[in-house]
Amino acid sequence: MDIGKITFLLNDEPVTIYADPAESLLHLLRDQLGCMSPKEGCGRGECGACTVILDGKAVNSCLVPAGKAAGKNIRTIEGISDGKSVHPLQRAFVEKGAVQCGFCTSGMIMSAYALLAENPAPRQEEVKRAISGNLCRCSGYKQIEEAIMTAAEEMNENRVRFVEKEQKE
Amino acid sequence: MSYFTAASLDEALNVLREAKGKALIIAGATDLFLKGMPSQAVDIASLPELGMIVEEQDYLSVGAAVTHAAAASSPLIMVKAAALAEACAAVGSPQVRNLGTIGGNLVNAAPAADAAVALAALGAKAVLCDIDGRRRVEELGNLYAGYNQSRIDSSREIVLNLIFKTCQFNEGSAFARFASRRALSLPMVNVAARVGLENGVFAEVRLVAAPVKPAPTRLFKTEEALLGKEPNEETRQMVEELASAEVKVRGSLLRCSADYRRHLIGVLAGRVLMAAVRRVQDKEES
Repeated sequence: MDIGKITFLLNDEPVTIYADPAESLLHLLRDQLGCMSPKEGCGRGECGACTVILDGKAVNSCLVPAGKAAGKNIRTIEGISDGKSVHPLQRAFVEKGAVQCGFCTSGMIMSAYALLAENPAPRQEEVKRAISGNLCRCSGYKQIEEAIMTAAEEMNENRVRFVEKEQKE
Repeated sequence: MSYFTAASLDEALNVLREAKGKALIIAGATDLFLKGMPSQAVDIASLPELGMIVEEQDYLSVGAAVTHAAAASSPLIMVKAAALAEACAAVGSPQVRNLGTIGGNLVNAAPAADAAVALAALGAKAVLCDIDGRRRVEELGNLYAGYNQSRIDSSREIVLNLIFKTCQFNEGSAFARFASRRALSLPMVNVAARVGLENGVFAEVRLVAAPVKPAPTRLFKTEEALLGKEPNEETRQMVEELASAEVKVRGSLLRCSADYRRHLIGVLAGRVLMAAVRRVQDKEES
């Protein structure tokens, strides 16, 4: 096993680590960087529990060789809020009862986060499609879809409020 | 292992040349990562020259490193090669489509790879470049050595792009697959068609089904029987019968029996054909 130096941005912070580039990004995040939100479910790109955002796109971190992370910007659920308040998606998941055992939740939220970044006002069908690569075995898809729709609305209302405030000032 | 992210095509070819067969090209790596990474990898996924979708006169060139997600949402592909957009949208999951590339889909050589089936129906050819800088153009069928085995030697050549004629005003294409679930499921069958109509009858038909042989398989007999026929319910039924009679398929314990697969190929052949026809009619009406 050859160890290489890998530098990338993790939630906007530059990190440099020494790792086998054939290791999965998932293991790198969990075992070396202590970033525990991506979960290992199937380990073969079928369950989405390990979903992270790589340069703006949702990917299965279990299928990404660590070497591919070099120079990229990686976002996990640790990096979607400011640490003081929760992200609207996180709040909506709690309020809508979209969390049961919680194993799929961070992956679900990262898929939803990637969707809302590209499409701030998705239709129900588009939400379903965006989380079609994330399995929930407690079978709470309905609440999860509702939570994502609710978060999208809240984020759009916040944007309107922000613009109105700007205009007043 | 060593991992090299190439910044240009020349750089990638140089590394392959110097490694003397020990380094392998990788792109999205979604399939390769599970099979086992090579000891030396040359990552070409972010090469700008392989990531482009370009229309030149009547032809469309799709870079080998274009992801399934990018192809599925490309307005050019949606309008000029709808079958490919539909096929790419059907692969795996959003996460896999964001990583997996069209070129990788071909080199992985799975017998029922969605993108490969659509590309075969569109009549696409692959442009390859080897470590000596020699370029060649290959029919898709020539790229397969057997089930899940590609003729492309990733230690000495790179697929650059796929080229095919765009669908003209009188042409349309469509793709359909059948799987146990709509996401994250390998297809039991996938079928794609490209049709050209003249004076209301079929003037050109390419109908491709998989998995039938190692490579996506054209249904020549069915295609021929369609020429000169009007697209209507009677024709659709004829296609259903002919297509399922034409293929010799294998069953799979995991996915479906040979009989069911043959039946599905007939049904989907009829569907994609009529969907492709509707795309021509929509253009004529608008």
